[in-house]
Amino acid sequence: MNSYYSIKRENWEADLIKLSDLFGIYAATENGHLPEYEPVNTGNIGNMVYNRPKPSTPLKTFFLPVKENVTEEIRPGKQRIIIGVPNCDVTALRLLDEIYMDSSFEDMYYRHKRENTYIIASDCFDVLEHCHCVSYNVMPYADSTADLSIILKGDDVIIRIISGRGEQLIKDHFRAVPVTGKDITSFIATRQREVVEILSRMNKGLPDYITTGDLVNSADEKVWHHHSLRCVSCGACTAICPTCTCFLLIDKPGFHKLKQLDACQYPGFERVAGGEDSLAELPKRFRNRYMCKYVWKPARFSGIACTGCGRCIEACIGKINKNEIFRELAK
Amino acid sequence: MPADVNIYKALRAELTEVITESPLIKTFVLIPEKEFFFDTGQFIELAVDGIGEAPFTPSSSPLVHDRLEVTVMKTGYVTEYMHNMKPGDMMGIRGPYGRGYPVEKFYGREVLILGGGCGLAPIRSLLYALEHVVDKLEKVTLCYGSKTPSDCVYKPLFARLNKIEKFETYRTVDKPDEEWHESVGVVTSLLNRIKIDIDKSVAVVCGPPIMMKFTTIRLLEMGYPEHQIYLSMEKNMSCGLGKCGHCMMGKFFVCKDGPVFTYNELKDTPDIWK
Repeated sequence: MNSYYSIKRENWEADLIKLSDLFGIYAATENGHLPEYEPVNTGNIGNMVYNRPKPSTPLKTFFLPVKENVTEEIRPGKQRIIIGVPNCDVTALRLLDEIYMDSSFEDMYYRHKRENTYIIASDCFDVLEHCHCVSYNVMPYADSTADLSIILKGDDVIIRIISGRGEQLIKDHFRAVPVTGKDITSFIATRQREVVEILSRMNKGLPDYITTGDLVNSADEKVWHHHSLRCVSCGACTAICPTCTCFLLIDKPGFHKLKQLDACQYPGFERVAGGEDSLAELPKRFRNRYMCKYVWKPARFSGIACTGCGRCIEACIGKINKNEIFRELAK
Repeated sequence: MPADVNIYKALRAELTEVITESPLIKTFVLIPEKEFFFDTGQFIELAVDGIGEAPFTPSSSPLVHDRLEVTVMKTGYVTEYMHNMKPGDMMGIRGPYGRGYPVEKFYGREVLILGGGCGLAPIRSLLYALEHVVDKLEKVTLCYGSKTPSDCVYKPLFARLNKIEKFETYRTVDKPDEEWHESVGVVTSLLNRIKIDIDKSVAVVCGPPIMMKFTTIRLLEMGYPEHQIYLSMEKNMSCGLGKCGHCMMGKFFVCKDGPVFTYNELKDTPDIWK
């Protein structure tokens, strides 16, 4: 049984502003086409978006910066609160946690950021053209991994408690009060159900995650050659993907190392010094991304490697739509 | 691993000696700032300060902890810098990483080892480890191939091994010179000369991808079971930690699941020889 708190929107915003002295607070805010995470201040707090799907930047950027020195000492700083995170991004974080907080080789920089960040999700009550989370059994609302999830109901912000530390944050810093009652739970349940129905309807015929893995795995070379004709190896799909995490280590004087995001779509990603390169040809790199997302990562990790956010479809300058490819393979 | 350990930080090691093995191959003798333990066949990331790092399997004995030898072929950006380094220079070591040779599984067996070119580096470390447990082995047969006699590495090693009971070695080159009196041909041609009881044997292969491919094919034809052929895979192991993705080979991270695999584990993975 979920527990909820309620707070007037104006109090929520005022408490957030007050809290920004103690925490670095980032919220999904209105930014033209898609919302974008911005540090909140008195000037933009009114532009915070509620229950809108996906900010243009995936959540991973808060934990895996494009470039990071991974040999210097961790500088203590403010804890962070990230607000308005859609569940596609929250779910993606489970895979990142498995990779970076693996007990045999734990990335202390990732863990530090993870432990010092509160994630306040937002139930999606709206959909965008390429959203397809439910096809992969990811719901458009968070019930784990995040700390809290928010819902705007009239002038009230309803807060669903997901973690103990999330509840403590609310108790300590917000004028929110526990709420129960059918009007709230049925309001939320109805909106959640409606969105799931819309997503299911608009993605009818799209194979599920496991079936997609089977289709990708059994597709022959011709398929990848044909569908990669418009790919220019720009790597936008990987940069924008909430689960793509590959990186390159760059050496700097003093035995320092920079960890920089990298992508299997770039030529030379797997090339060894002797010259061999199993991903030398573009169609092989193109296939590699789908094999990684739907076959290899799920074979190895418990978290899924595509959460159906659809950003890669929006980001592709060659207008490659992976879902059209999978629909075709499923015929 | 404790949470305060930085997995990206290198251990410093002083380069104390550089041994020229062939025109393109040198062995670097390193003294790490603290004792360094590894299993034979595991690899390290060896760094040139400010330039880059690359994965190598130490060529020295896993029983020695205060000294480490790494044999490096000049083949790219980082290794070119390494070849210009001098005793007294400092290098960085991360690791050891991955899964090495399961020496205990070789007990009671005849170990057939096939090496090509610089692929003899990990094998030399394995040979030291096998020498240490020779009483538990039936036989160790080393077949080594290189392009020319001057490309043969570890020249004193063969004479020394041949003096050890149960060890025998064979060498071959593609292009002999006038002084070469051993075999001529690719390394698999040596397989016609050796006596081995395949049912009691295990094969270890390490060398350039093309050599590994054709050697594995030949071993399978000879009747070696897929799970008794051990391959040391060369991929772009960049982080060594199962994170950066550069060495992914199908579902495997070569850095974590390998670099030593049985052929049985890899046979369904595409492009393993590239």
